[in-house]
Amino acid sequence: MAEHPMRKNGSEDSSGTQGNNSQTFEDLRNLLLGREKKEIAGLRDRIENPIARAADVSAVVAEAIELRRERGGREDLNKALTPSVEEALRESVRKDPSVLAGALFPVMGPAIRKSIAESIRSMLESFNQALEHSFSIGGIRWRIESMRTGKPFAEIVFLHSLLYRVEQVFLIHRATGLLLGHCVAPRVATQDPALVSGMLSAIQSYVRDSFNAPKEEGLDSLKVGELEVWVEDGPRAILAAVIRGHAAASYRAALKKTIEEIHRDFGSALEQFDGDSASLAPADQRLLLCLESHSLPKEATSRTHYLPILALVVLVLIGVWTAIAVRNQMMWNRFVDKLQSQPGIVVTSFEREHGRYLVRGLRDPLASDPALLLKDAHIDSGTVRFQLTPFYALDDEIVLRRALAMLQPPAGVALSVREGALAAVGQATSDWARRLRDRAAVVPGVDSVDTSKLEEIDLSEVGRLETALSSIIFTFPVGSAEVESGEESKFGKTAEQAKLLFAKSALLNLTPIIELVGHTDNSGTELANLPLSRKRAEYVMQGLAEKGVERRYLRPRGAGTSEPVQGHDAKGGDRLNRSVTFRIISSK
Amino acid sequence: MLQKKICMLGTFAVGKTSLVRRFVESIYSDEYHTTIGVKIDKKVIRLNETDMTLMLWDIYGRDDFQPLRMDYLRGMSGYLLVADGTRRNTVDEALSIAQDIEKEFAKIPFVFLLNKADLKDEWEVGADVEKQIEERGWTVMRSSAKTGEAVEAAFDKLGRKMLA
Repeated sequence: MAEHPMRKNGSEDSSGTQGNNSQTFEDLRNLLLGREKKEIAGLRDRIENPIARAADVSAVVAEAIELRRERGGREDLNKALTPSVEEALRESVRKDPSVLAGALFPVMGPAIRKSIAESIRSMLESFNQALEHSFSIGGIRWRIESMRTGKPFAEIVFLHSLLYRVEQVFLIHRATGLLLGHCVAPRVATQDPALVSGMLSAIQSYVRDSFNAPKEEGLDSLKVGELEVWVEDGPRAILAAVIRGHAAASYRAALKKTIEEIHRDFGSALEQFDGDSASLAPADQRLLLCLESHSLPKEATSRTHYLPILALVVLVLIGVWTAIAVRNQMMWNRFVDKLQSQPGIVVTSFEREHGRYLVRGLRDPLASDPALLLKDAHIDSGTVRFQLTPFYALDDEIVLRRALAMLQPPAGVALSVREGALAAVGQATSDWARRLRDRAAVVPGVDSVDTSKLEEIDLSEVGRLETALSSIIFTFPVGSAEVESGEESKFGKTAEQAKLLFAKSALLNLTPIIELVGHTDNSGTELANLPLSRKRAEYVMQGLAEKGVERRYLRPRGAGTSEPVQGHDAKGGDRLNRSVTFRIISSK
Repeated sequence: MLQKKICMLGTFAVGKTSLVRRFVESIYSDEYHTTIGVKIDKKVIRLNETDMTLMLWDIYGRDDFQPLRMDYLRGMSGYLLVADGTRRNTVDEALSIAQDIEKEFAKIPFVFLLNKADLKDEWEVGADVEKQIEERGWTVMRSSAKTGEAVEAAFDKLGRKMLA
C-alpha cells in the first residue's frame, strides 16, 4: 500500500536527478528490506532497552542456571551466586527481619532444641560423675586435691574420670553404609570393619524406621556392658567411636568437631563417593586423632592396684578380729572354770545378754570376790554382771574361814576343819579354850570340836615373869650414864626373863612392851638430870639388845627426879634413885 | 579398594540366604533377619585384575505381612533378584519388586536368578516365561544353592554391570 505513491512521486520529479536517485535507492531499500529493517530496529530496541532485555533474560534465567549446574559448573556458579545471595540475605534482614525469621522458623526450632538437649546431656553426664565420686574414697582424695591446687572440684573429677579408651573409630558413608575409614587402637581384637560398618548403618535405619524418627536423627549411642558406641551423624557420613569405659562428655564435642571438619575438607569426595574410598584416605589421620588423644589406659591400671591392698586389709582385719574373739572366749572359759572351782561359789547359769555376760548362782559372803577373780583373768568388769544369792557354804575351807572370823584364835592356836569337824591345836589361855568349846557349835558348818591337842596355859606365869622383871633395878654412880661395877652381870639373866615373857605372851595373843625408866638423885639441876636419866635408860636397852632382846619391845624413857624409886631424903635413897627400872605395858 | 552396596531381594523362602551362605564372609547369624530384617555379608570378587568388595545386604523376604523396608535399599549400586524356579508365583513377586525399585530409585543394575535349579522335577517356570523376561533386557540365570551353580557367575555379572 505504501509503495505505490513512492513510485509515483519518483516518476514525476525529473528536475533533480541526484536527489531522485538517492530517494529511489532509499525507496528500493525500503521496498526490499523494509520488513527486516523493522525487525532489526525492533531487535536493537530489545537489546538497548534494559526493560525489554530484562524481560528476555527472565524467561530463560531458571533454565540457564539448571543447564549450568548439569554441565558441571556448580562450583563456579556457587562462587558467582554466593556474594549476591549473602548480600540479599543481609539486605532482607536489614529491611524486615521477620521475613527470614519466619522462613527459618521450622528449621531453627529443632536445631536449637537439639543443641540445648545436647548441652544438658553433657552437663548431666559431668554432674553424674561428680555425684558418683563425691562420696567415695577417691572422691575425698580429689576433694583434698581440689583444696590443695585451688582448682574447682568439678575440674578435678573431670580429669580423673577419663578412665576410658577409644578402641575403634569408623567413618561410614551415610547413604550406602560402606566403610570410608577405620582405625583401631593397639592390641584390640576386631571384627571385619566393613561388615560392622554395614550393620551399624542398618541398625541406624532400623531404629529410624521402627520409631518413626526424622531422617536426620539417628542413634546417638549404643551401650553393651562396659563398651559404648558413640555415633556422630553428619549429612553424608557418620562417625562411630567404640569406647571401653566411661568417656568424658567433652569427647562428644571432639567427635562432632571431627565429623564437621571431614565434611568441610572432603565435602565433594563424600558427595561423589561411588565406592572408591581412595580420595578419603587422608581422613584416616583425623580418625587416628580421635583414637589417641583420649585414651588414658595408664590411669586405669594404676587404679586397680587398690583392690589387692583393700583385700589384704580386710583379711588382716578379719584375722585380728577372729584372734581377739578366740582369745576372749578362752579367757572367759578359764574364768568360768576358776569361778566354779571356788569354794563357797556355785554357778547355776551363765549366758550372753545384750553383749554382756550374766552369771547367776550362789555365793558365801566369805568366798572369794568374783570381781577380783575377774581382774586376775584380765576381763573387763564392765562386760560381766553377777547375780549371786548369799548362802552358807559347807565347804571345809569356807567353814574354816567362818570359824576363824567368829572365834578369833590366839597366835598359838591353829584351827582346821575336816568334813565338819573343827580341830584346835596349840596353846591358849583357859578363857579362850572355854570360849571355843561354847561357841564352836554355833558356827554354821561345824559339827564337832576336837580340843585334844589344845594345851591350856596359865596366865599367872606371865604375871610372875612381869613381876620378876618389875623388881629388877640397875644402879649408876653419881653423874654417870654407865652402870656401877658388878651391875653388868645382871644383863644376861634379865634378858632371858624378858625373852621368856615375850614368848609366853605371844602364845596368848599378847604383845607386852617393856618400858625402861631412867632416874637421877636430886643433886644438880633438872636441866642436866633429865637427859642423864634418858641416857641411863638407853644404856640398859643397849645392854639387853646385846643379849638378844628385840629392840621393838623396848621403850626407853627419862624420868629425871620426878619418879624417885625411894624418897630423896631417905637413907640410901640417892643410890637407888640413880637407877633404871622396868615397867611392863601390856598390849593386845 | 572399590566397594559396592548390593542387596539380595526376593520373596519369602526363595533361598536368598542359602544361595550366598557358602560364598561370603560373615560374622552375623541368620537370626538378624527375623529381628532387624537384614543381615550383612561380604563378598570380594575380582574384575579386570582389581578387587571389588560387595557388601551384601541380605534383606528378609517380602511377604504379605512385611513390606520391604526401602530404607535398607538406599544407596545400593545393584541387586540380585531371586525367585524360586519351583514356585511360579515367586517370579511374579520378583517382577513386582523390580517395579517397586525402579519407581523408588530409577534404574539400578541387577541380575535375576531362578533359584533351586537342582530340583528339575519340580520346576514350574517354563522356557517361554524365561524368554519373556529376557526380552525385557534382563539378565536371567538359573542358580542352585545346593550345587553352587551360577552363584559366582552371578556376582561376577552383577559386578561388571555396575562398572559399566
